[in-house]
Amino acid sequence: MRVSRGQGFPDRNRSRLMATIQDRLRIPWRGGAKQVAFDAILPVIILPTMFLLAAISLWWTVFSFTAVAVILVSVFKFFIRTIPRTKFFIVWTVTSIIILYIIFEFLVIPLLEILVEENIFLTILFAGFLLCFYLMKIRNNTLGKIGESEAESGYVGSYNRCSICQVVVPEKDHHCVWFDCCVGRHNQCLFVLALFFAIASLLYSSNLTLTSVCHPFIVYKSILLPDDCSDVYQQFELGLSFVAAIYSLGLAAFLLMLFLHQILLVSLGLTSKEWRNLSFCAKCFLGLCSKRPHSLGFVKNWSRIMCSNKTYSNIAYSH
Amino acid sequence: MTTKCILIVCSVIALIAIYWPARHARHYDYIDLADVYDELLFVHVKTNKPNLKYCDYEDVIVNNSDVDVEEVVEQRRFYRPKNGGEYIPRTCNPLLKVAVIVPYRNRSQQLDVFLNYMHNFLQKQLIVYRIFVVNQTDNLPFNRAKMLNYGAKVAMDMDFPCLILHDVDLLPLNSGNIYSCSKKPRHMSSSLDTFRFNLPYLTLFGGAVAISSEHFQGINGMSNQFYGWGGEDDDFYRRLEIHSLLPYRFTPIISKYTMLFHKKEKASPSRYAMLEKSVALHRMDGLSSLPANYSVKSEKLYTLVMAS
Repeated sequence: MRVSRGQGFPDRNRSRLMATIQDRLRIPWRGGAKQVAFDAILPVIILPTMFLLAAISLWWTVFSFTAVAVILVSVFKFFIRTIPRTKFFIVWTVTSIIILYIIFEFLVIPLLEILVEENIFLTILFAGFLLCFYLMKIRNNTLGKIGESEAESGYVGSYNRCSICQVVVPEKDHHCVWFDCCVGRHNQCLFVLALFFAIASLLYSSNLTLTSVCHPFIVYKSILLPDDCSDVYQQFELGLSFVAAIYSLGLAAFLLMLFLHQILLVSLGLTSKEWRNLSFCAKCFLGLCSKRPHSLGFVKNWSRIMCSNKTYSNIAYSH
Repeated sequence: MTTKCILIVCSVIALIAIYWPARHARHYDYIDLADVYDELLFVHVKTNKPNLKYCDYEDVIVNNSDVDVEEVVEQRRFYRPKNGGEYIPRTCNPLLKVAVIVPYRNRSQQLDVFLNYMHNFLQKQLIVYRIFVVNQTDNLPFNRAKMLNYGAKVAMDMDFPCLILHDVDLLPLNSGNIYSCSKKPRHMSSSLDTFRFNLPYLTLFGGAVAISSEHFQGINGMSNQFYGWGGEDDDFYRRLEIHSLLPYRFTPIISKYTMLFHKKEKASPSRYAMLEKSVALHRMDGLSSLPANYSVKSEKLYTLVMAS
C-alpha cells in the first residue's frame, strides 16, 4: 500500500528489517556459527564481481560501472539512516585498496614494462596514504578515552558529539563514512594529507597501468600518456588491468573533489555543516560574504589544523 | 613473540618477492652516443665515383633528431632505388653496406608503410642498403626465424657484409640510429614505445637486430624449428651466448622505435620445450639445414624472396 502511494516505509520498520537480516546471516565458524554484518560483506561481493564483469568488454565495463554507481547512490542514504554505524563504506574502501594493489603488483608489473624505481615510488605514495589513514584513525580512537567533561575543561572551543563514533570531537568538521572516522581539528591535517597521497597514488598507478596496457606516446620529452587502448579487451588480464586503471581514475576524481572542498573549507574557516547550511547564492561567492563565526583568517585557519598536534596531545596526555 | 617474528620474516620475504628487480623492466648497459662511431664496422664499397669524399657517419649519429610518431605513416619523399630496392648514396663515398631483411606474410598495409618510411630514413644515413622482403608461402604457422635465414642466405650470396634483421611493424624514431653492424651483434630496438620505452628483460634480442654476416654464419644462423610466435629470439640469444658473442646496445637516445598496429599477441605454448632442444642441436639446425626451395624476384622497392 505504502509503496503504491509512493510514501516509503517509516525508518523504524526499515531498521527492524535490517536488524532481522543481520541477525539471521551467520557463517559457520570454529566454535559455532559467527554472526556477520550483512552490510559489511556486501562490498567484498560487489567489487570483485564488478571488476570481473567489466573486464569482458567495453560494454560490460560501462554496464557494471553504471550498475555499481546506481547501487552506491541508492544504498548510501538507506544505510546511513537505517544502520548508522554500518561498516559497509570502510569495507568498500579497504576492498578497493586490496583489489587495486593486487591487480597492479601481480598483473601489471609482470608485463615487464615498469621500472623498479617507478614501482617503489608508487609504493611510497601508497605508504604515505596508509600512514596518514592509520594515524587519523588512532587519533579518533583515543578521543573516546578522553571523558567529555575533561575534554571540555581542557580547551576552549566548540565540541560536538558524534553519533556514529560515540565520542566527543573537538571542532568537528564531519564524519567520513569511507574512512569510518570523525574529522575534526585533531585530525583534519591528516585527513587532507591522506586525501593528497590517495589521489597521487591513484593517478600515478593508473598512468603506469594505462601506458603499459595501451599504446603510449611522449609529451614534453618525458611524460608518457596512453593514446590507443583499442586492444585491451582481447586478453582478460589486460582488460582487468585497464578496468582497474579506469576505476582508479574515477576514485581519484571523486577524492580530488573532496580534497579541494576540504582546502576551501579550511581556508574559509567553515565546517562542512556550516557550508551545507549556506544558501546556493552564498556558495557561489564561496561563502566569503557569509558569517563565519569560527574563522580566524586564512593563515590562522591553516596553522590551527597544522598545529593541532600540540593542543591535541595536551588534551590526550593531561589525563 | 614467535608469531610476531614469523610475521615480520614473512612480510620481508613478500616485500622482496614483490619488488624483485627481474619482475620489472630493466636498466641496461649501453654504448654512449659519443662512442657509437668507434664501434661501427666499416667496409670498402666499390663505386663508380672514387674521387668523392668519404661519407661522414659521425655527423649522422651525433646530429640526430627525433621523428614525431604521428608522422610515420605520412607519404615521404625518397630517391628511387635501383630495381630490387638497392640504393647507393650519390653525394659521398659510402663505407657501410647493409641488407635489411624483413620476414613477412599477409601484411601488405604494414609493408607499404614500412617501405615508404624506411627508404626515406635509410637514404638520410648515407649507407648502401638493400631491402629484402621474405614472404612465407606455405600455410604453416609463421616461422620468423626460418624466413630470416632465407633472407640472410640470399643477402650473403649477394655479398652483403652486414645483416639487419627487422620486423615489418617496427619503425626507428631517431635519425641517429645508424643501420650498420658493429664489433658485436647489436640489439637495436631497446627503447620500444609499446614497452613504455623500457627494456622488458636483459636477454631480449628481437625486433630489430644488427649482426655481421660473418657472425651470423658462425652461429649457423637461427633455428628453423620455431613455428608460431615467440621463442626464436631467445634461441638466437642462446646461440650467441654459446659462441661468446654476447650482443650489446647503443644509447636509448637513438634506439627509440615505434610499433605499428600494436597488438599484444599470445606466445606459442611449445616455445620453452623447443628452446632446450634447439640449443642442443644448433650446429645441425640453422643455415646449414635450410632447404633450397626459395625464389628471388626484384620488385621496384625491394627484393622479394618467396620461401616455405
